[in-house]
Amino acid sequence: MVQDPRVFAIGLDVDDRFGVFGSMLGMTHPERLIGTPVSESAMMGVALGAALSGLRPLVVHLRVDFMLLAMDQLVNYVAKWRYMTQGQVKVPLTVRAVIGRGWGCGAQHSGTLPSIFAHVPGLKITMPSNPYQVKGLLLSAIADDYPVIQIEHRHLYNDACHVPKEMYTLPIGRGEVVRKGRELTAVTLSMGTVDTLKACERNELDVEVIDLRTVKPLDEDIILESVRKTGRLLVVDYDFPFAGVAAEVTTRVVEKAFGDLREAPQRITFPECSMPASGVLEKAFYPSPDTIAARIKALLSRAPQTSVEGGAHG
Amino acid sequence: MIDEQRLLWLLTRMRLIRRFEEAIVAIYPTDAMVTPVHLHIGQEAVPVGVCAHLRPADTLFFGHRSHGPALAKGLDPKKLMAELHGRTTGCARGYGGSMHLVDPPNGMLGSSAIVGGGIALGVGSALAAKLSGEDRVSVSYFGDAATNSGVFWESVNFAALRAVPVLFVCENNDLSNTMRQREHMFADITRAASLFMLALSANGTDVLDVHEKAGQALEHVRSGRPALIECKTRRWMKHQGVERDDLPFNVVDEARDCPIRRLESHLLERALVTRGEIDEITERVRQQVDEAIAFAMASPFPTEGDLIREV
Repeated sequence: MVQDPRVFAIGLDVDDRFGVFGSMLGMTHPERLIGTPVSESAMMGVALGAALSGLRPLVVHLRVDFMLLAMDQLVNYVAKWRYMTQGQVKVPLTVRAVIGRGWGCGAQHSGTLPSIFAHVPGLKITMPSNPYQVKGLLLSAIADDYPVIQIEHRHLYNDACHVPKEMYTLPIGRGEVVRKGRELTAVTLSMGTVDTLKACERNELDVEVIDLRTVKPLDEDIILESVRKTGRLLVVDYDFPFAGVAAEVTTRVVEKAFGDLREAPQRITFPECSMPASGVLEKAFYPSPDTIAARIKALLSRAPQTSVEGGAHG
Repeated sequence: MIDEQRLLWLLTRMRLIRRFEEAIVAIYPTDAMVTPVHLHIGQEAVPVGVCAHLRPADTLFFGHRSHGPALAKGLDPKKLMAELHGRTTGCARGYGGSMHLVDPPNGMLGSSAIVGGGIALGVGSALAAKLSGEDRVSVSYFGDAATNSGVFWESVNFAALRAVPVLFVCENNDLSNTMRQREHMFADITRAASLFMLALSANGTDVLDVHEKAGQALEHVRSGRPALIECKTRRWMKHQGVERDDLPFNVVDEARDCPIRRLESHLLERALVTRGEIDEITERVRQQVDEAIAFAMASPFPTEGDLIREV
């Protein structure tokens, strides 16, 4: 905000004392934090109108689930505007949305959902897995002249890692190999990256872990290069199974590296049900480093897999 | 008092819209225009009376009934005709069609056909003007049906809370497709809006009344606060397409309801213009529309290779 007077933030509670889990406290230009009524649809439209008129809005949603109230604006307007106008106006709009989890928050406060937005041409989607990426990707998103949605996992706010004070950007659309390995390519993102790395480190698994960092545009090249080396694919996607990011990654690998695969691709996702509130059920719902490690070991022991079940219980 | 130049401008713009839309009626059966059209015949006074007060930099966001507001704001009829014919010389290069017009130099930053949603964009554009300290206003232009939507009330509420310089223009033709207003909106629109902001009502078949009320409302908006005007008019054509409407309760009396006839009678009665000057305008506009048609028909179509561009 200091560098560019056109940047402003808009959303529920962006200007309150909690500051979106602390991420928006201590801002240098409080007059450019616009707290809104509970009007998600219109606020996305307001942000679009402001973006078309030369400002660079950052729309903040405390939960990805609430963003769904703005789907008409996001899908029918924001995503399509560049194509319908053939680039005669820029759409420098960025959205930050938070994935909730835990403490029994239940089905409507825990959505991940990037594939819903990825489905429509015209939207870029980033999903950082640590605070360093949050800043770098967000600054790229704000600098982008067209729409970017950044989905951040709630639990990342508790993570610490080195975040430089100065401005830096990370490229949208480029993944990162965060662990080198030879026996299996694990493609993952967001919380999935955190847990997959833990699973591999604790169990000394010879697995190459690719952190996507961006859902769309998908970094195909980094995935294919790894699969050609390892011959095995496991996608760890902390989202519902049907038509998710795991399905898209798997399809592309099958289309473009079929001959390099030693075995059928696999995925770990949420089960085919919503997030329950009770602690016992919540624990059963989510994958964890232990369940991920167990699944990888089963794959590497060459136990034949004839069916793929959605869910952490592979 | 309005000066003669402004009066002639009002007449010319209304005649341009009327002639343009009539040309569509004539051409449409040939399928030279492959796009749904929502015509402004009979409703010309509303966009023209409002746009008379707007500068090029003031932004205007409208819905599917787009030709009237777009031409009133200054979109080149050639570019509109070419867009309807799907040519690369169209205002959206053939990618938008009738319902997605764009003309940034004239403050039209794109349009949407989903009823109601574009209203929020006008509020956002006005917010941008306020945050940047720019001296301009925005207009959110919509029909009575759009007041059914949640996003309309969200926009009105936010504009009032944040005091943004936006004018909400409700072009009320008493119809949501085939549903009368009394069946789709429980409350009087002006009265309901008046809880949030200055709200005026105008006779939408009388361009001088629209011009007067829009002038008052925009003076208020240029001082930094939102306003709404509701202009009651009649829809002569069906919701979509080139046939005259035939709903039994939608009775149009052209002698009473035609805004062009009304203004011309007014001007002649007061000897503000001569019959000759009126005929000149009519002829000039006819030529302008003919040129637009010729331009469109002579323009190239995009090619298959143009499909994946500016996604």
